[in-house]
Amino acid sequence: MESKVLKPILAVYVGLFILFLYGPFIVLGILSFQQGPEGGPQFPIIEWSTYWYKHLFGLTPPSRIAPLPVGEALVRSLTLAFMTMVTATVLGVMAAQAFRKRFRGAGIVFYLIVLGMMVPGVLTGLGTSLLANNVVGVERHWWSTAFLAHVVYTFPFAFLVMLAILNRFDGSVEEASWSLGVSPMTTFRKVTFPLIFPGVLSAMLFAFTLSFDEFPRTLFASGRDQTLPLAIYGTFSVEIHPNIFAFGVMTTLFSFALLAVYGILMGLSVRRAKKMAMQEDIA
Amino acid sequence: MTQRDPIFRLEGVTRRYGNLTALDGIDFVAEDNAYIALLGPSGSGKTSLLRVIAGFETPDAGRIWFQGRDITDLPAHERGIGFVFQNFALFPHLTVFENVAFGLRHGAQALPKDEITERVKSSIEMVGLAGLEDRSPEQISGGQKQRVALARSLVMQPKLVLLDEPLGALDANLRERMQVELRAIRERLDVTFLHVTGSETEALAMGDKVAVLDAGRIVQYDTPDTIYDGPVVSDVAKFLNRFNLFEGSLENGIFTGAFGAVPVTNPRKNKSDTYAIRYDRTQIFDAGDANLPGPALPARFLASEYLGSSIIFLFETEDQKTVEVDHHLSLGEPRPLTVGENYTLSWNPEHAIVFGKETAR
Repeated sequence: MESKVLKPILAVYVGLFILFLYGPFIVLGILSFQQGPEGGPQFPIIEWSTYWYKHLFGLTPPSRIAPLPVGEALVRSLTLAFMTMVTATVLGVMAAQAFRKRFRGAGIVFYLIVLGMMVPGVLTGLGTSLLANNVVGVERHWWSTAFLAHVVYTFPFAFLVMLAILNRFDGSVEEASWSLGVSPMTTFRKVTFPLIFPGVLSAMLFAFTLSFDEFPRTLFASGRDQTLPLAIYGTFSVEIHPNIFAFGVMTTLFSFALLAVYGILMGLSVRRAKKMAMQEDIA
Repeated sequence: MTQRDPIFRLEGVTRRYGNLTALDGIDFVAEDNAYIALLGPSGSGKTSLLRVIAGFETPDAGRIWFQGRDITDLPAHERGIGFVFQNFALFPHLTVFENVAFGLRHGAQALPKDEITERVKSSIEMVGLAGLEDRSPEQISGGQKQRVALARSLVMQPKLVLLDEPLGALDANLRERMQVELRAIRERLDVTFLHVTGSETEALAMGDKVAVLDAGRIVQYDTPDTIYDGPVVSDVAKFLNRFNLFEGSLENGIFTGAFGAVPVTNPRKNKSDTYAIRYDRTQIFDAGDANLPGPALPARFLASEYLGSSIIFLFETEDQKTVEVDHHLSLGEPRPLTVGENYTLSWNPEHAIVFGKETAR
């Protein structure tokens, strides 16, 4: 009886949720096919065209609208996100591994790590920039100061993901490996790591996406050369053309491609994890 | 049994978890090339003891000697002691073959490929799993997993293998078959098995020697038949699950319990006054029968349980205590009994074992 009332309500809720989640993106997607170069970033669609996509890649005749200055920024952002992903995940795995044993001060260390994602980003960015300029006296770059700010920000996420994974990890396979004369180092490489790999993938995905569209920290910490979110923001201050929408669609498709790769890798390693779970069930 | 050199020795091994003392100064000497069963109820510290010997945990006090060497401070992977887990702990991402080959491949000494293949093959054959080398752990049954875990350990040719309730996860049928096989496999190799179990039947059936652990101490270490016939304290008699135990009081060589006052000889030192008589030494007589072999215990018949080779009769005494009588069918048909009727239980007092706070007469 209860579900007869509850189900439609939940269905409506889910519908609204999806609408709010994807609504803006759908609008952007539609407007990116606006006619160009006269068509602006609003309805109605004067005529459907792929002008703005061509414009993005410099395939249109020159017009009064400058090409979007995102090429270099995109490369920078991808590189930065990749660097951040690797560093934050390695640190996250190591830190979570350390937390498997209780040690003195574990509680304080835990909160200090997690603080990195709690502190307002603008403050971290500003602080990093002040520290670099006034205290240490180094120049700010996207690959140095901004990279540090990104690691501080994403490391707690990677750490928490790995903590959850290792919490559920049955350590007896590691002990079995030790009892076979295999050193803890090799045991980690040959047993622990392959088994926690799905978690590592998730941590990597988190770190990458968080870094890729990070704005407030990068704003202050990155110095002269802009990352992608900064470059896009910069174009807003002049005039908005649908080429930004086209670019948005492209980056979103790229994100989906990334997710697909993640999904495939995950599917492969979850099959292994399932075997693990079945073994635990018997115990 | 011949005298053997010790394979490992424990000196005052103590392990605490906070306020809880899991191992309370254990001294123990284990013979080489033997099957030793370690029997204890849950919470007696038996798994802790195994983990301390394996090097997964460090004792708070005491030393551990293995093959004449002090290994207390040696990490687990340098001890050369095999371990078989209750949940098998197979590597789920590796095949049966790779599971067994794991220690040879990634251990300290580098072995040539051919030798690894050969040793793994013969180890897999020994546990009867030939043909399953390429299966993954999820594609084999519980009993087969147990064998892989065993083969994985034995391929390293350890002198000591610790087995943590290895049969606990198997069903009854398989458990009995594995009992026989574990013993047979051990006898073929020059290796000591230390097998932890909470089952008294398993411990008595499998061990050349049985160590009984209680509250972090080894209370008795002897051959199965000696333990069966002569538990040293009442707690051991209780774990064995083969004795009717009666609380009472022992004074000047007279034990007073539910069956009256009986003179006893040679009581064993214990923390309480307890009178023990084995189930199969307890006999059933009509109420009021004057021709009894010993003490008379009035009891009401509750139920019987047919076990194939024997029948267990359950009685209840006046003070609501359940008493069991085990009648082996080779002794002939049991007398017919009526549920709810009163009978008298009796036994030959020479078969009784008495534990008391007072030992000297």
